[in-house]
Amino acid sequence: MAETLTETLKLERLEVNLFRGTTPQTRMDRIYGGQVIAQSLLAAYETVEGRACHSLHAYFIRPGDPSVPIVFEVDRARDGGSFTTRRVIAVQHGQQIFNLAASFQVEEEGFQHQTPVPEHPHWRGLPDTAALKLLEEKHGVQHVSGAEKVQKPIDLRWVDANLDDSLKPPEGQIWFKARDPIAPGSHMHQVILAYASDMALLPTALRPHPVSWRTPGFMGASLDHAMWFHRPLNFNNWHLYTQDSPAAGGGRGFTRGAVYDEAGVLVASVAQEGLIRMRRPKA
Amino acid sequence: MTTTLAGTLALERLEKNRFRGTTPDSWSGRIFGGQVIAQALLAAYETVEERPCHSLHAYFIRPGDPVVPIVFEVDRSRDGGSFATRRVIAIQDGKQILNLAASFQDAEEGFEHQVPVPEHPHWSELLAEIRPEDAGKPDAGRATGWLSSSVTRPIEIRTVEGMLSPEGQQPPFNKYWFRAIDPIGDDPRLHQAILAYASDMGMLATATRPHPVTRRTPGLKSASLDHSMWFHRPIDFNAWHLYVQDSPIASGGRGFSRGSIYTEAGVLVASTAQEGMLRPPRA
Repeated sequence: MAETLTETLKLERLEVNLFRGTTPQTRMDRIYGGQVIAQSLLAAYETVEGRACHSLHAYFIRPGDPSVPIVFEVDRARDGGSFTTRRVIAVQHGQQIFNLAASFQVEEEGFQHQTPVPEHPHWRGLPDTAALKLLEEKHGVQHVSGAEKVQKPIDLRWVDANLDDSLKPPEGQIWFKARDPIAPGSHMHQVILAYASDMALLPTALRPHPVSWRTPGFMGASLDHAMWFHRPLNFNNWHLYTQDSPAAGGGRGFTRGAVYDEAGVLVASVAQEGLIRMRRPKA
Repeated sequence: MTTTLAGTLALERLEKNRFRGTTPDSWSGRIFGGQVIAQALLAAYETVEERPCHSLHAYFIRPGDPVVPIVFEVDRSRDGGSFATRRVIAIQDGKQILNLAASFQDAEEGFEHQVPVPEHPHWSELLAEIRPEDAGKPDAGRATGWLSSSVTRPIEIRTVEGMLSPEGQQPPFNKYWFRAIDPIGDDPRLHQAILAYASDMGMLATATRPHPVTRRTPGLKSASLDHSMWFHRPIDFNAWHLYVQDSPIASGGRGFSRGSIYTEAGVLVASTAQEGMLRPPRA
């Protein structure tokens, strides 16, 4: 029986501040970034009592090796009156592959405002995974090896999958949610949203350019990832993920995201820079 | 004789990866956040050869004490083929007051795009800032109040409304022009550090705009929680730059703001994001 994403991400506690996680078998030669973000956030959560994460900032430092476990070291930077700060390093082969800093806060009330949700189609009218697969076959789309398995725990519907790779403005929208039920009120909603939020950002930075993830010689990788959790969320429900890319240059593309629930409530914001380059021809 | 901002930010090297910085006398109560970000970035730069910074992510963990020095510890996370990653912890009295992670990259060419600069007035059409030394003259006070008026800011600011925190409720958007007053010279690292210093200004004020308070309201508690920056292109911060800010949301005692920094020619040179604590005065 296939394991749920919650089971996949599960960590073993080695010591008070030390954890170990593993990677499911895929055909990918490196670990999907969202997995390491999610596991690092979980490691931080294991050292925090009764406070919810409101933000995280992470760097991808080295490609993760899917064949060996990842060790997560947590630094308890501060336990304050209402805020808690943690830093996490993910280590493989004695080297840092990833770092994350995150902040947690006691629940409180305060000022409220929110910009309105942008115009968007409803998820019901969009092709599901099976329908998209048929469309892809029609367009002769080749998948990045292993990507399907990574995306499987997330039900994801593209507003415009851009299967013909035509040039578009640097904006995108998807609807997504967790496939396996997440327990109500659990911090796994944040963890699995963090896992999913690393998808679909960098393609937005590529839209104005004559290149895609599938272009031979193209090299894409997340460099950093920042998330702000504005409100409690239930990722068993559909969420709209809107993205824009204000700039690309110097081999990098910068993207921003906003995650809304179906009622238009902004539950999270995201920012990410990614490496977008054509491999130099071998001399 | 007064010290330039670059002089204020200068660090003493204690050991290969350890540095010490100080705070100028004139600051009141706690250290201005932008100063610690700028010094932490400069500490990281002291351990990196010839690679420009393209992004940084920082957390403010504890208020900084202006009367004691700050020690910066740099972790050389990775020196790769074209990227370098560093983590910095700023310490006072044995406790972490800030952490910063930053990434550096060899200059490279690649895909380029940029969203257009929003509509804006030219800086020459706006009132010059009234400086504390001119206080008492007619019209004084129009441009002061959001920082202690006893402090002479090393950054010149021209706002559309004549001040950063106008009275009355406003939409959560703002734009203003800013630049460094002292000549920075030709060290690109200092231009980034001083832009980082300045970019901590006004972000929380933008999140406060829709609410019936300003940052001068007695009892309002506000403080930067984190700060992210992405440097898209080289910067000359002695020239005027337009800082466009929006705050998509406030909730749970926090306000979230995003910024885009453009040259006079409309080139997007940097993006920022910041979350701040915003607590209404207790009734």
